[in-house]
Amino acid sequence: MELIRAEEVTRVYHFGLPDEMTALHTVSLVLGRGEVAVLKGPSGSGKTSLLSLIGCMSRPTAGKIFVEGKDVVKLPERFLTNIRRETFGFIFQQFQLIRDLTVLDNVLLPLYPSAMGWRNMRETARPILNKLGIEDKRGIRVKNLSGGEQQRVAIARALINDPAVIIADEPTAHLDMDLAQEFMTILADLHGEGKTIIIATHDPFVYEHPLVSMAIAMRGGQIDRVDKR
Amino acid sequence: MIHHLKIIEYAISSLLRRKYKSLAIVVAFAVTVAALASVLLLSNALRIEAAAVLQAAPDLIVQRTLAGRHELIPVTYAETIRDIRGVGGATPRYWGYYYDALTEANYTLMGTGGEAGLLALLEGRLPADNTECAVGAGVADLRGSADSGELILVNSRNMGVLYDVSGIFTAESSLLTNDLIVLTDTAVQDFFGFPPGLATDIALTVRNSNEVQTVAAKIKKIFPETRPITRQELIRTYDMAFNWRSGMMLTVFCAAIIAFCIMAWDKATGISAEEKQEIGVLKAVGWDTSDVLVLKFWEGMVIALTAFLLGIIIGFVHVFLFDAFILAAVIKGWSVLFPNFDLTPQLNLFHLFIMGFLTIVPYVACTVFPSWKTAITDPETAMRG
Repeated sequence: MELIRAEEVTRVYHFGLPDEMTALHTVSLVLGRGEVAVLKGPSGSGKTSLLSLIGCMSRPTAGKIFVEGKDVVKLPERFLTNIRRETFGFIFQQFQLIRDLTVLDNVLLPLYPSAMGWRNMRETARPILNKLGIEDKRGIRVKNLSGGEQQRVAIARALINDPAVIIADEPTAHLDMDLAQEFMTILADLHGEGKTIIIATHDPFVYEHPLVSMAIAMRGGQIDRVDKR
Repeated sequence: MIHHLKIIEYAISSLLRRKYKSLAIVVAFAVTVAALASVLLLSNALRIEAAAVLQAAPDLIVQRTLAGRHELIPVTYAETIRDIRGVGGATPRYWGYYYDALTEANYTLMGTGGEAGLLALLEGRLPADNTECAVGAGVADLRGSADSGELILVNSRNMGVLYDVSGIFTAESSLLTNDLIVLTDTAVQDFFGFPPGLATDIALTVRNSNEVQTVAAKIKKIFPETRPITRQELIRTYDMAFNWRSGMMLTVFCAAIIAFCIMAWDKATGISAEEKQEIGVLKAVGWDTSDVLVLKFWEGMVIALTAFLLGIIIGFVHVFLFDAFILAAVIKGWSVLFPNFDLTPQLNLFHLFIMGFLTIVPYVACTVFPSWKTAITDPETAMRG
């Protein structure tokens, strides 16, 4: 069942300026619900740009993107925010946590704009923190955590809104092999719960992992090859 | 509502995370507000104080002017004026300014026939004969009269005259009495060498306060060379004096205001890469542009309100608890004898509103505007800082 469709999407940075740079060029792609898709390729191949467009974090210069059948390119910012909040959970390459906030505060960030009360927010976070093994660190500032722990916080934050799609950008770039293995185990659990997972990586451990159902190879801002497993 | 409360809570935690920067802004902001508040509170309190004290002043004072210069007035004018319908009383007053070379201060010498007799705030008593005097607290302090019980002044014949101090005016009346020396009327006449039958001016009481202008017009018609001054005109003169002085102080404090504007401009022209990145993260995890703006609005409001309240409290304490020791010399006095009195604490809501409008609004705008520029960009771009 189709979840995301990109039609001839082009993304140009600094459009019309001397340093204009085309990151994606007429890319088309369809991702199904429950898929574990990997965007792989060397640095500068356009993986992160495509991930950003799919996750409604930016708009394409040309082309269309459909999420659950809705054309999101022309949607006003407010609706795009709703889609980001309700459909996607992001795990960023540098984790993008707020280092001076505690684990719990970072995890609860997506819930601040909601009408949910404090108690409900904390109760929502508790099972997620438990599942990721960081419940006992809830009051610790993120800057005092190890890389692996920080990544768990980033995952918890991505899950707090119970999104249908988890988007992860180079999730194992700063992890050793044990932590990378642990991360893939967590993803396997999430996939087992019915989440769709989209990962951008150039780590062979990730894109060759048996969990992956679709590998999209990118090069020079275009899709080179799509392997369905 | 809960949505706003959560964002306010987040705003406060954001400010606490940047505590040194936040503290520096609060201090700069509070000092600016405190300076403005001190000037406005003090000049306003003095105006009110002066108006209250001047309620005891005569309804009308008649001076004589020749070629625009204040000249002594014949006491016979008082008899004619008393016959004007509506006039309750007309009393010639004997007074003049005295420069004391010893203390380099100006005193006001006044006869007991004027409103000095109405100042029932005396410790001791008013002078009973030509060898006695009553002095204001400032004169007593400056000349040490309270201890010695004596006061020596140099008269118009360049002779030293010794007076026994029979009383000292209390500090509560200091705005009017601080530089005052009260003698008997004849002692003042003799001291200044007034020719017989001439007084400094004539103080009038008018039975119906609505008739003051009419009485003044009648006096002017009978004695064209006179200048009737109403009590309202006196109050206006005090108002203008304090307005002028507070204007001077505000000009001086322009430096503080300019420094504050530079700080606000610095904020308006950009936010740090770290702040941009945080806005990007917030948007990426589902915060709307309006949520970010609400956050920044409350960050600005918390800083601005805290600093504003702090500034007002500092200004209030400075003026009413510490007698405006920083500003008093400029606002209150015109000689080395600065009045020393307790002001009645009061806040003028209009002044508060003006100060709030001129400081809080620009600061909050300067906080929200650059954040708005970042908040309307894509989260991906913002996160790059």
